[in-house]
Amino acid sequence: MNQQPFVRIFTAPATLCAVGFLAAMAAVLQYSLRAYVPGSLDPGGLTLANFADLLKPLYARVFLDTVVVCAMTAVVTLIVGYPLAYALVRVEQPILRSILLVIVVTPLFLGEVVRTYAWIIVLGNNGFINSLLMSLGLIGKPLQLMFTSFGVVVALVHVTLPVMVIMLAAGLSHIDRDYPRAAESLGAGPIRVFLTVTLPLSLPGVVAGTTTAFAWTFSAFATPQLIGGGRVNMISNLVYQLGFSSFNFPFAATLCVAGLALTALVLGLLRLASRPLRKIEVH
Amino acid sequence: MKPSANLEGEQAAVHFDVVSKRFDDVVALNDVTLGIGRSEFVTLLGPSGCGKTTLLKLAAGFLGPDGGSISIEGKRVNDIPTYQRGIGMMFQNYALFPHMSVAENVAYGLKTRRVPRAERDKRVADALALVKLMGMENRKPRQLSGGQQQRVALARALVINPTVLLLDEPFSALDKSLRSSMQVELREIQRKLGLTTIFVTHDQGEALSMSDRMAVMSEGRIRQLGSPVDVYRSPADPFVASFVGDNNRLRGQLVSIQAEQAIVALGDALVQVPGERLSGLEKSAAVDLFVRPEQFRIVAPGEPCVIKGSVVAQIYQGGHVDLQIECSGSVGDRLLVRSPGEQAVLRWPMGAPVGVAIQADRCSVFPAA
Repeated sequence: MNQQPFVRIFTAPATLCAVGFLAAMAAVLQYSLRAYVPGSLDPGGLTLANFADLLKPLYARVFLDTVVVCAMTAVVTLIVGYPLAYALVRVEQPILRSILLVIVVTPLFLGEVVRTYAWIIVLGNNGFINSLLMSLGLIGKPLQLMFTSFGVVVALVHVTLPVMVIMLAAGLSHIDRDYPRAAESLGAGPIRVFLTVTLPLSLPGVVAGTTTAFAWTFSAFATPQLIGGGRVNMISNLVYQLGFSSFNFPFAATLCVAGLALTALVLGLLRLASRPLRKIEVH
Repeated sequence: MKPSANLEGEQAAVHFDVVSKRFDDVVALNDVTLGIGRSEFVTLLGPSGCGKTTLLKLAAGFLGPDGGSISIEGKRVNDIPTYQRGIGMMFQNYALFPHMSVAENVAYGLKTRRVPRAERDKRVADALALVKLMGMENRKPRQLSGGQQQRVALARALVINPTVLLLDEPFSALDKSLRSSMQVELREIQRKLGLTTIFVTHDQGEALSMSDRMAVMSEGRIRQLGSPVDVYRSPADPFVASFVGDNNRLRGQLVSIQAEQAIVALGDALVQVPGERLSGLEKSAAVDLFVRPEQFRIVAPGEPCVIKGSVVAQIYQGGHVDLQIECSGSVGDRLLVRSPGEQAVLRWPMGAPVGVAIQADRCSVFPAA
């Protein structure tokens, strides 16, 4: 095995990173088990009290809100992303394909903060949507779009869309074109071909995309911070408030651990639910 | 070369009328005309890129022609989508729906036709019985062997009583022994049901053994259309001669031509060959003789022969022996000679000097390319 030394050299940086991450995680875990000493940056003795505090309605509420916002974002992203991914895979003209790809991928390069600011301009009381609706005479006073879950979800969908589309397109492009052709030869029109063949065969991609979108939004910070403006709180925002306004590092760490555990739990459940799909071999 | 013995539009189950198709700058089909009779098994044979698959896809409706018209059962189908053509198709990789059971796969075409449940179940059972797959109804495709998957694909295509069965290299994924038994079985079923069938393959052996008629294609044209025996015995041009069956190409010189017979010089020897494809050729023009391996006979040195050489390879095939003869002179470098009976192995050992005689009246002769 003379490739062994190379394997070691190539994996060394990754191993180094992993060790760093593990150390950081261990530090967070350690903090989560320490008591908070008000007025001090140093934590107190070992305790499980932080985890008991999680059950307080105030904090449980934030967890619930986070899960709801993430679930809504994942579902809406899927609904918006699927047609885009489908078009990306099936469109044959190279120019149209490139345009689609640019539309889908450019948001990735803009960064979350920039995209979120753009949404503030669109969603604000004097923003694009309200101005348009008012000048059309459809509404008398501005709709409240900023500082609502709706606004947060809309902005998060935009943030998550590229990842969703890329994962769905990967799934769709693995479907051999002979499957829809076979269905067509058997008398199925375009809608039936899609519903009975293409859609079921793309479900592994749907599961992958949805889980990724869910996990991706679970740690969202800038978007709920800017568009939620304190009225829509997600876990990251709570961690920020506790850690950097109250300097309650132990409880902030506890929230991180709990958030991580919750994400793992939800992803695990989704994986379990999608187990039958993994038996679909699409070549 | 114009394809002969073509069926006219009315009699044909499937008729391609001066059909052309191009992909960007590449001409895939160049004014192809082909009629396929009812219950006929027609093979489209050719190397990859010859247009055979394009022709099949045009019949299926997966592609539209750039020119000409296609009709099925006398009805022009150019603008009719695949799902309204009533075809049955078998794909190279079978394309069985992986998320459906065997029974669901077979039932698919009946569901799209809104066949009532009871009748559907019966027809699915009948179709699975026809391909000998009873008891497999609830399996998923991935739980089946390659041969069984192919049977499901066949049942799925047959159960809808298609007007025409389209086969896209369906045997290429099977191992050799399974392939030949499936070929026989498919042909039996096709005969029994009287199904009009278009079969695409690049395997000339498959084409020879299965077809009623075969169309040999190259570069978007049909080079020859005829029964396997016709195509094998009298190929229409050098391409067909070298593509279908084993053939040896010998370079010779035209000495004289009279009516149907021509005299050709092969090195020092003169042979009398059929001359119908040499008309108008100048004397002493170069010609190519295509001689099948079984049209040679090996003789001991000293006996009258056309070519002299020595044995360089023996390929024992059980029932017969293939010998490779390296020959001196300008005629050709290596000849493949098929000798019936296994005694040839002992009679003509490696390195032995031999003479080769030609059954010249049955070989094909064309002006040299």
